[in-house]
Amino acid sequence: MPLQPPSLQQSCQMKRSVPFELFRYAAILLALAITLVPILWMVSMAFKPIGEWSATGAELTWWPKEPTLNNFRFIFGESTSNLIVALDRTALKPILSSLLSAVFGTAIAMGAGTAAAYGLSRFGSGQNLPLALIQLRLFPPMAVMIPVMIMWAFLGLIDTWWGLALIYGIVTLPFAFWLMKTFFDDMPREIEEAALVEGCSRWRVFTRITLPMMRAPLASAALFVFILNWSDYLIALLLTTREWVTIPVYMASLSSSMTGQLYGAKAALGLIAAVPPVIMGIAIQRHLVRGLTFGALKQ
Amino acid sequence: MSAIHLQNLVKRFGPFTALRTMDLHIADGEFMALLGPSGCGKSTTMNMIAGMEEPSEGQILFGDRDMAGVPMGRRGVGFVFQNYAIFTHMTVRGNLSYGLRMRGAPKSEIDRRVGAVAELLQLTPLLHRKANRLSVNILQRVAIGRSAIMEPAIFLLDEPLSNVDAAFRAVMRTELKHLQREFKQTMVYVTHDQLEAMTMADRIAVMDHGVLQQVGAPLDVYNNPANLFVARFIGAPGMNLLPGRPAESDGGLVIDLGPLGISPPLPEGIAAVLRGSNGEVFYGFRPEQVTRSVDGRGLAMPVSFVERIGARTIVHLGEGERSVKAVFENDAGAVVGETLVLVPDAASVRVFDAGSGRAVMAEG
Repeated sequence: MPLQPPSLQQSCQMKRSVPFELFRYAAILLALAITLVPILWMVSMAFKPIGEWSATGAELTWWPKEPTLNNFRFIFGESTSNLIVALDRTALKPILSSLLSAVFGTAIAMGAGTAAAYGLSRFGSGQNLPLALIQLRLFPPMAVMIPVMIMWAFLGLIDTWWGLALIYGIVTLPFAFWLMKTFFDDMPREIEEAALVEGCSRWRVFTRITLPMMRAPLASAALFVFILNWSDYLIALLLTTREWVTIPVYMASLSSSMTGQLYGAKAALGLIAAVPPVIMGIAIQRHLVRGLTFGALKQ
Repeated sequence: MSAIHLQNLVKRFGPFTALRTMDLHIADGEFMALLGPSGCGKSTTMNMIAGMEEPSEGQILFGDRDMAGVPMGRRGVGFVFQNYAIFTHMTVRGNLSYGLRMRGAPKSEIDRRVGAVAELLQLTPLLHRKANRLSVNILQRVAIGRSAIMEPAIFLLDEPLSNVDAAFRAVMRTELKHLQREFKQTMVYVTHDQLEAMTMADRIAVMDHGVLQQVGAPLDVYNNPANLFVARFIGAPGMNLLPGRPAESDGGLVIDLGPLGISPPLPEGIAAVLRGSNGEVFYGFRPEQVTRSVDGRGLAMPVSFVERIGARTIVHLGEGERSVKAVFENDAGAVVGETLVLVPDAASVRVFDAGSGRAVMAEG
């Protein structure tokens, strides 16, 4: 058998000492615990009967002894326990509200942000504009929420999903813009010039060449923006009252006078709320790593 | 068809002048190489021909049509970029057919022409492949094919071979030349590689610092550089240039090279022009065109370094501004420290005015 030089990986591993390896795995375990344990706890709780999650329960268990779907039945309006009264509203409409506002908010941010990023990246005069946009993120959105509330009330947008979508689009626009701008800056202009030389119009270059080549960055930027919108609590709390409350706001209201916080129901709802980002993440998994590194490699 | 005329072309980027009053006339069907070091303005010139940049002053004419204000898509030029600029989200076929589809050509014609170009560039087995999985060599072929398929009257290539590997570069040099002979387009080829310019071009335009230095056939530029820049830039290694002053001697006019003594007598043509002047000049000769003296007369210089590159040996002699290189076939047998006496071939000697940098040309 011919001799082979040791691979890079092998030679690197050989240099590492045992204590270092132990430390490394301990650090990885710790990081995993911090991120995964709360999620596991939520999953476990979602399937526990009331006796196991409530304060009235006799003992704390890591895993449900008698797994049940009662928590899910409960938030969709089917009361199964005499301990708690039926809800006046089910989780159905908040889920719809969250979906509509987050999806349309993301569409607004990505649409406007991509167009602005492309324009400034390719025809960029007015170099202060990008900085002006990021100022939107320099203070917490709460700082301007009172004026926004007044404006939204004046426009009749309070407690509507489209009012929420609009403010989500505005608040996440800087993210969409900055992510897309670094991506566009990194794309070689020659590719577009090549299409222009072939007789393609500027608009067609954008729609047929640039955007298709930008699928990966577009997908990951959209996922970021969507997650930001999807997980918002404060803005929805202030701008919705009853009809179109979103999942986080609705979740906060899940309590009863007898049992206090309805942890089981909250966990069930939380599990449902985790589904869309996870599905999106899996769908664009192929693009995600590339999208995340695409812009970062520039410096 | 399409000759290209650049008249008094100037390009400024803010305070920086990238191109100063360039006049260049490229004949229809000619292969013109724009050659120069990076930043010399050759790519800027190319971009203005393509219409990517507007000239600050001057005119660009294709034949007798003024191109001012004509967008690049309507100029009928093909452009091949250094970094290929391949549409990676399309297949090879998608890339090749792109221009035709943009112009709404009928499907049968698209298929026929894609087939022909793919055959020519040996891309047929790869037509269905996604462009992002191909090697740089293939990508550059695709890029050339994508432009060639439009059969443009003017074909512009911006350093198309500088990213591909050396072996493939040699293949492409001959292929590009064949391609141009076949289609008879006017070809403008930007490069910093003189080998590419020398082997492919009908004429070479040498540029430096935004100024056109010399235009001429490859051998003419090599043999008769118009100034010091071209003399140093063309040739590998470039021309040897030794400072000195004209002086009379028994055998005729020579150049007094200071510590190195005097040069062999100058050819009569140059001597006639120089006689009577005492200005500083550079005495130039090609490293390839020297022989070792048999009678001890000539330029005696110590060997400082010997480069052996297989078929040839490059001997470095002297130091500072009084250093020269000599290229010998095979192994010259020179040893560092040894003193060699060199005699430049009389026909290869060129003299340059040190003040203006221009070559002193024999009259008539």
